[in-house]
Amino acid sequence: MFEEIKKKYQEMFGNEKLPYLKCTRCGHSFYYPRDYCPKCRSRELEVRESRGVGSVFSMTKFRDRDNKEIYYGIVELEEGFRMYANFIVPVEIGDMVRVKFLGKESKVPFFEKI
Amino acid sequence: MIVGFSSSIHKKYEGSTFQLLAETVSKALDMATIDLKDIDGIFYTVLPGVFDGKASLHFSSFQIPSFLGIKPKVIELVEYGGPSALTMVYRAEKLIEVGEINTALCVVGGKASFLRENKVTVDAVDRFLGNVQLTPYDDLFRVYQDLNPVSDYALVAKRHSKLFGTSDEQRALIAVMQRKNALGNERAMYKTPLTVKDVLESRVVSDPLRLLEIVYPVDGFHVFVVSKHQRKSDLRPLKVEFYGESHWSEMPPELPDIVYTPAVESSNGVNLERIDAFQLYDSFTITVMLQMEDIGLTEKGKGGEFVERTDITYQGEVPINTGGGSLNVGQPAFMSGGVILEEAILQLNDMATNHQVKDANRVLINGIGGWNRGHSVTMVLGEGNV
Ligand SMILES: [Zn+2]
Repeated sequence: MFEEIKKKYQEMFGNEKLPYLKCTRCGHSFYYPRDYCPKCRSRELEVRESRGVGSVFSMTKFRDRDNKEIYYGIVELEEGFRMYANFIVPVEIGDMVRVKFLGKESKVPFFEKI
Repeated sequence: MIVGFSSSIHKKYEGSTFQLLAETVSKALDMATIDLKDIDGIFYTVLPGVFDGKASLHFSSFQIPSFLGIKPKVIELVEYGGPSALTMVYRAEKLIEVGEINTALCVVGGKASFLRENKVTVDAVDRFLGNVQLTPYDDLFRVYQDLNPVSDYALVAKRHSKLFGTSDEQRALIAVMQRKNALGNERAMYKTPLTVKDVLESRVVSDPLRLLEIVYPVDGFHVFVVSKHQRKSDLRPLKVEFYGESHWSEMPPELPDIVYTPAVESSNGVNLERIDAFQLYDSFTITVMLQMEDIGLTEKGKGGEFVERTDITYQGEVPINTGGGSLNVGQPAFMSGGVILEEAILQLNDMATNHQVKDANRVLINGIGGWNRGHSVTMVLGEGNV
C-alpha cells in the first residue's frame, strides 16, 4: 500500500498533477505518504488531486554553492495540507502561489507566485 | 546525584572519536573518584555521521563499553538529539532510586568536524554518505534545496517575525547578551565583545538568520557520572527537582504551527518563580526565543519585547545561558545538551568563575532536539530544598 501510494504520487507528478491523501473516515488531509491515517488509524485513504493553489506559510532564501539565490519554504494548499517546496521566484509569507512542475525525467512540484 | 562531570571541546580533534571519549570519561571518573569496575549503567547517544564519520556504529551498545572497558548491567541509547544528556541523567537517577544500578556514566558528543569539512550537517548526511535515508518521505522533500537545520529554523524565525513583529535586532540581542556571558567563561571558544550591529552585519546564512546567530559544530564530549555514592566528590548533592519531556512527531509542515516547540508541554507545571538561572538550548537565537515563550518566561510572540527589557546576562534579573551557551562554546556533534547541563552544574557548585550567578540554588535546563525540534526536555536541578 505504501509503495503503491508512492508510485501513484510519481505518476501524478509525471502528469503535472499535485497529489495528496484524504482519509475518507475522518476527513484528515495530508501530503507525506502514509498507508494509515495518523489522526484516526483508518486505512481508508484516497490519493486525490490538489488544485495546486495555496499560500506561503513561511519561506527563507539563501545562496547555493554557485551563488544562486534559492527560495525554500512551506506552502499551505487550499485543500488544507502543507508541504515543503522551493519557489521559482522570491515570495513573502501570505503570497498566493500555484504549483509548477520542473524536471524532465522525474518531475518535481515547485511553486510560482500567482 | 551527579558526582562527576567533564568536557573536552575542540574545534577539530585529530585523534579518534574513541580516544577523545576515553579522555573525557577518565577526567569525569577522576573527579567522582570512581573506578571503571563500579560503573553498572551506561547511557549514551550517537548521531549518524558524527562517530569518526561513520554512518553509525555496529552495535554501539557493545562498541562503546567495549572500548572503555566497562561491563555494565544496563545500557541505554537515548536518541533525542539535543536534550539526550538531560534524559540520561534523569533515567540514571531513577534506576539508582529503585536499586537497579548504583553508578551510571552518561555520555554525549562525537566528532562533528568530519561533516563540517564536507559541508553537510546531520540533517543532510544523506548527501554525503551513500544509502542513507533520513525519513520515509525523502523522495518528496529531499528533492528541494535546503540548508537544514539552518533553513528550517529560518522558516520559524521568518514566521515569528511575520506573526508577532519580531525584529532582527531583538534576536541579535540574545547573541549579544550571551556573548557577554561568554567573556568570562574559560570554556568558551568565542570571547570578543559583540554588538547588535556586529550580528546584523554578519553574513545572512538563511534569511533572516545570520552567521552570528548560528551554533558552530565542534568535536567533543560531555560526560556526567551519576551515583548513589558521593565518595570524595565535593559537588553539591544535586537532584532532579522537576522533569518533563514531550515529543511532537509531526513533520514541521504538518504541525499546527511552526512557532511552537514541545517545550510548551515538557515545561508544564514547572515553577519559574523558584529558578535562579536558565540554560535554554541555543542552536540558534530563535531557539532561545521560542523556549523563553514556551516555558512561560513571557507570552507567545513577546520574546522580542522580553529581551529588550530584560537583562539576561549572568548578572541580570533573568540569567539565561550564563556561560554564553553553545553559541559561544560550540556544539559538540550537533547536540548541545551537554553544554547547557555542564553550565548548570558549574553554576550550582559555585564553579562558574567570572560568570557566576549569585546564590544559584536552582537551575532550569531546557533541551530541544531531534528531527526538527521533535523533542523537548525540561529539567530543574537543585538540592531538593523546599
Ligand atoms: Zn482519519
